[in-house]
Amino acid sequence: MVLGATSDAGKSMTALALCRIFSNMGYKVCPFKSQNMSLNAKVTAEGHEISMIQDLQCQAARVEPTFRVNPILLKPTADMRSQVVVEGKAVGTYDVPSYYNDFIPNHGFRILRENLDALREEYDIVVMEGAGSPAEINIYEADIANMRAAEVADADCILVVNVEWGGSFAYVLGTIMLMPEQDRRRIKAILYNNVRGNPAGVLEGARMLSERTGIPVLGAVPHIDCHLPQEDSEFFRHTSSIGEGKDVIAVIRTPRIANFTDLDPLYGEDVTVRFVTSPEGLDGCGAIVIPGTKNTVSDMRWMEANGLADAVRSLRGKVPILGICGGYQMMGKMLHDPHGYEDPEAGDTSALALFDAEASWITEEKITVRDVGTLNLTGEEVTGYELHVGRTVTKEKPLFTVRGEPEGSVREDEMLFGTYLHGVLEKNPFRRLFLSLVGEGVKVTEGDRYDDDVEASIAKVASGFRDAMDMDLLKEIAGVHRCR
Amino acid sequence: MPLMVLGTSSNAGKTTMVAVICRSLTRNGMKVSPFKALNLSLNAYVTLGGEEIGMGQALQAWACGREPCGDMNPILLKPAGKGVMQYVVNGKVRSNRERPPTDELVAAACAAYDRLASEYHMICEGSGSPVELNLMDRDIANLRMAKERDMDIVLVGDIERGGVFAALYGTWLLVPEDMRHMVKGFVINRFRGDPEILQSAIDRVVELTGMRFLGTMPYTDIILPDEDTISARSGGRYGDAMKAYMDSLDRLADIAEKELDMGAIRRMVTGV
Repeated sequence: MVLGATSDAGKSMTALALCRIFSNMGYKVCPFKSQNMSLNAKVTAEGHEISMIQDLQCQAARVEPTFRVNPILLKPTADMRSQVVVEGKAVGTYDVPSYYNDFIPNHGFRILRENLDALREEYDIVVMEGAGSPAEINIYEADIANMRAAEVADADCILVVNVEWGGSFAYVLGTIMLMPEQDRRRIKAILYNNVRGNPAGVLEGARMLSERTGIPVLGAVPHIDCHLPQEDSEFFRHTSSIGEGKDVIAVIRTPRIANFTDLDPLYGEDVTVRFVTSPEGLDGCGAIVIPGTKNTVSDMRWMEANGLADAVRSLRGKVPILGICGGYQMMGKMLHDPHGYEDPEAGDTSALALFDAEASWITEEKITVRDVGTLNLTGEEVTGYELHVGRTVTKEKPLFTVRGEPEGSVREDEMLFGTYLHGVLEKNPFRRLFLSLVGEGVKVTEGDRYDDDVEASIAKVASGFRDAMDMDLLKEIAGVHRCR
Repeated sequence: MPLMVLGTSSNAGKTTMVAVICRSLTRNGMKVSPFKALNLSLNAYVTLGGEEIGMGQALQAWACGREPCGDMNPILLKPAGKGVMQYVVNGKVRSNRERPPTDELVAAACAAYDRLASEYHMICEGSGSPVELNLMDRDIANLRMAKERDMDIVLVGDIERGGVFAALYGTWLLVPEDMRHMVKGFVINRFRGDPEILQSAIDRVVELTGMRFLGTMPYTDIILPDEDTISARSGGRYGDAMKAYMDSLDRLADIAEKELDMGAIRRMVTGV
């Protein structure tokens, strides 16, 4: 099990690297994270919703993802409230106290145990990942993502710490020493991550700490530059734009932005992707993308209030505009939410009115499905996945055909595109079409470049970790002693 | 006693915490001065006297209603690329490559400190984490300076990325035993939500370390300016940017006076 001394310690990348390393050794391996809080989700082949990062770790492990690899997914809908997705299906919304006092004791442990047992049955190695810090001692006994999961699995643990911020030895020692003895014994090695420059200093301090704790050093992993999808809003704290191309694609960064990994395929193209929170951000842009959101209604109101809605309307027909999922819902005329399923403030909200379409929330049932379809304008294939509760009724021409049914909306003359398909930019045809309308026409890199990029990055991360780790120690911890 | 604010990591909020303490004590009628023995920075502020100091100390000086001066930050390290450092001591380039002897740097820092301490209550800021095991024997900005001038130490931990209790306890554990009694209290910075949910963990840290819990500073979007927005060059010294900065600082000081045990901090500083 991979634990982190903090959020963003590098747990996910470590687990991903371990999945690939063990897979390369010939083992049947899969990832597991009992509980993940994330707004970036994917859909499995069976139509279950799991976090994006476990999906990616499955790719590293070379296995088909199922809901078992992430049986509890928390999707924040407002401060301190989250939608809870269990075994791939949304079951309700909880605030922090009700989640820990009600959900966890009544359901959490059972869900953890059943899914973990099923995976252990099927795989040689399960690479578990913790969440946040395992030493949040105010919620320690209810923390099923960390030491309680380790206990259920009887797992040996690796503690990962990000050295970039400093204080890593304090974080490591404090994490270990705040745990009760029986949990502390599970920590078998410390991994120092994200080392820039010469690792000698970090390793010197790491060995000094080892002498004190008796826990060996697994390695000092250098900072690895790669193009893997980024998890969560941590990403936005330090990032206002990506890329250096002269044409700017403005992405509306709403407060409840979700599934913004949809944008990843744009980062490798010759454009600048700019994250925008005010009307001025649209100045000089060559295209607009309105991404998905966990709360279309409140984000629409946010756009009206800060002037972004009018700014987008004023660019209609001048630059291409793409709305994905929640962003597509906003491109219609009206959002009908009579029961308050989307936002507690039930009622009708007028939207951007770029399309003659309306979105409604009439059932709480969420659509979670993977799609393969056709881009109607060219007849080429597109792939994607849907995750939405609201449904759109449109009088526009459909952008795609999926399972013989029309999907999305398009107005070619005004360069307006709307779809429920997440991941729609990953395959070339639609990305090529959209980028050809940006500025004087941006050319895409041909080939299945985005997929190749992800695969190359996984390999790069895995080899970076492998080269930096004491592999004998790792094999000993994982209980593997030979290559298959 | 002089106060030393140490962080459990970089970017834990030390600079702002010192500025806010300076502001609060100043507006309550005390004569205080900021101090940081050593700064690692490319972006220095040039004082009216022509000395280069870290921008943080300039901001903190303004918080005290005073002009920044060289003694507030006597040693400046300027990265010259490829791991090479230029050492600026008391405003003059001391070395372009070789690190001057630690004792010489400590003596320079203490001399500057003493010149200020003869007139002001001192609110000092550490640098990075004070317990980087491989660096501790030559780290002068943190525990060494606190020991040289017998300071009361307050730890600031950033809760935003999690693990704050581990960070506080681990830092305390790695402080040499003969200095732990100097670590008087801790602050949890950038907290969102109801502090009540942290109480059991806070109690545990207090019980384990004997440090006093001084409060949680809530997450705010009040960001102190950087050198580009408030500087002599832009006319910010007496301009709008300065007014905006002082307004932000006063808002933060209001929050600190409500959320933190400023009485305890004040008693540490005055010694009564």
